[in-house]
Amino acid sequence: MRNLVNFLAKHSRWLLFALLEAVSFALLFRFNNYQGSVAFTSANRAGGFIYDVAGQVTRYFGLAEANRNLTARNVQLEIEAERLAEALGRYVRDTAEIAALRRTALQGYTIREARVVNNSVTRSCNFITIDKGRDDGIRPETGVICGNGAVGIVYLTGARHSIVLSALNAQSNISCKIKRTGYFGVLRWSGGSPQYARVEDMPRHSEVSLGDTVVTSGYSAVFPEGIPVGTVDDMEDSRDGLSRLLKVKLFTDFARLNDVCVIDPGPALEEQILLRDSAEAARTK
Amino acid sequence: MQHLTKIRQFVLLALLQALVLNHVRLGQFAAPILYIYFVMKFSSGTDTKALTLWAFAIGLCIDILSNTPGLNAASCTFAAFCRPGILRLFSARDPRDDFEPGIRVMGFAQFFRYALALTLLHCAALNLIDAFSFANPGTLALKTLGDTTTTLVCVLCIDSVRRGK
Repeated sequence: MRNLVNFLAKHSRWLLFALLEAVSFALLFRFNNYQGSVAFTSANRAGGFIYDVAGQVTRYFGLAEANRNLTARNVQLEIEAERLAEALGRYVRDTAEIAALRRTALQGYTIREARVVNNSVTRSCNFITIDKGRDDGIRPETGVICGNGAVGIVYLTGARHSIVLSALNAQSNISCKIKRTGYFGVLRWSGGSPQYARVEDMPRHSEVSLGDTVVTSGYSAVFPEGIPVGTVDDMEDSRDGLSRLLKVKLFTDFARLNDVCVIDPGPALEEQILLRDSAEAARTK
Repeated sequence: MQHLTKIRQFVLLALLQALVLNHVRLGQFAAPILYIYFVMKFSSGTDTKALTLWAFAIGLCIDILSNTPGLNAASCTFAAFCRPGILRLFSARDPRDDFEPGIRVMGFAQFFRYALALTLLHCAALNLIDAFSFANPGTLALKTLGDTTTTLVCVLCIDSVRRGK
C-alpha cells in the first residue's frame, strides 16, 4: 500500500497530465458525437453574454453592405415573383389558386429571427452561435437561413443561445437539387474557401450546366423546398467515377453573417412531411 | 499579487484570442494562436502540476468560447507539460535559478528557440487533434507551420514591446 502511495506521489505530475488529457478528449468526443452538453460551448450563459456584448459592437460594421445586398435581393425577388405569377396566370385560369399558393408558401413554418453573435469560417468544423435559445422556442434539427440563402442546421440549444452547425462544417449534409432539372445531391464542405462547397452524389446522367442554381430539395423536414444555396461553378467526375461532383459558389457570405432566421416546421408539419416522404418512397419501390 | 497579474493576463489573452484572433486568417493555413504566450511566461520555477492546471484552464476557456470542447485544452495541456523540458534544453541558465522566460532575461536567440519549440509543439498537437487523421499529411504540415510562424511573430512582437517597459 505504501509503495502504491509512494508511486503515486512520485509520478503525480504524469497522473495529472493523463487525467487532464483524458478529460479534454472526453469533451472532444462527447461534442462530436452529438451527445454533447451545451455547458462547454459558447451557448452557455457566460460565453453567450461575452459574445452578446462583442456582437453589439461589431455587428454595425457590415450593416451598410448587408442592407444594400438585401435591398437588391428584395427587388430581384419581387420582380421574379411578379413574372412567375404572370406566367402562372396564363396557364391557370383560376386566380384564387395562385393567391392560395402564395399564401401557403411558408404556412405551417414558424420563422424566428435571430442574431449571429459568434461565427467562424476558418476551421474544418465551423459553428455559429445565435442569440436565441430554448426559451425562445428554438429546437435542434431545424433549418437556419439568411436573406441570401441556406446557412445551416441548429445543433445544440442552450437556454438563451443556440449553436448552429454551419454549412461550412465537415459534418454538415444538406440535401439539395438543381433548380432547373430537379436532380438532387448532397451539399458538403471539406475546408478551404468559405465561398465554395461541393455537391456530391449527383448522378452522372443528370443534366447540369455551369451557372445552374442549386436549391434545397425539401426531402428532409429541416429545410422547405427551394431555399437558394448557390450556383454551379465547376464540375468533374467523382473519384470512383460513379457520380458527379459539382463545385458550388454559395449565395450566403458566411464571413459576414449578421441576421438569420430559424425555420421551424413544428411537430405537426414535420409528421406530415415524413408521411408524405414515406408514401412516396413506398410508391417508387 | 503574482496570481492577480496571472489572472489579468489570463482574461486578456483569452478574450483577445476568442474575440479577435479567432477571426484572423492569413491565407488558408495560418492563424495566430497567441494564448500559448500565457504558458510561455510562467516563471521557470513553477511547479509542473500548477502549470499544467493553468494551461488546461486557459485551453478550456478558449474551447468554450470557440465551440471546440477539449481541442485547445488537450493541446495546451500537452504543451505545458513539455515546457520544463524545453526550457531546460534551450536556456543556458542554472536550472535552480527562478526567472521569467523572456527576451530581456534570456536574450533574443535563446528565447526565440524556446518559443519556437513550444509553439511548434502546441500547433502540431492542435492541428493533429483537429484533423484526427494523417490522411492529408501535406495540409497538416502546412497548417502547423503556418500557425507556428504567425503565432511566433505575435509572441516576439509582444515580448519585445513588454521588454521596453
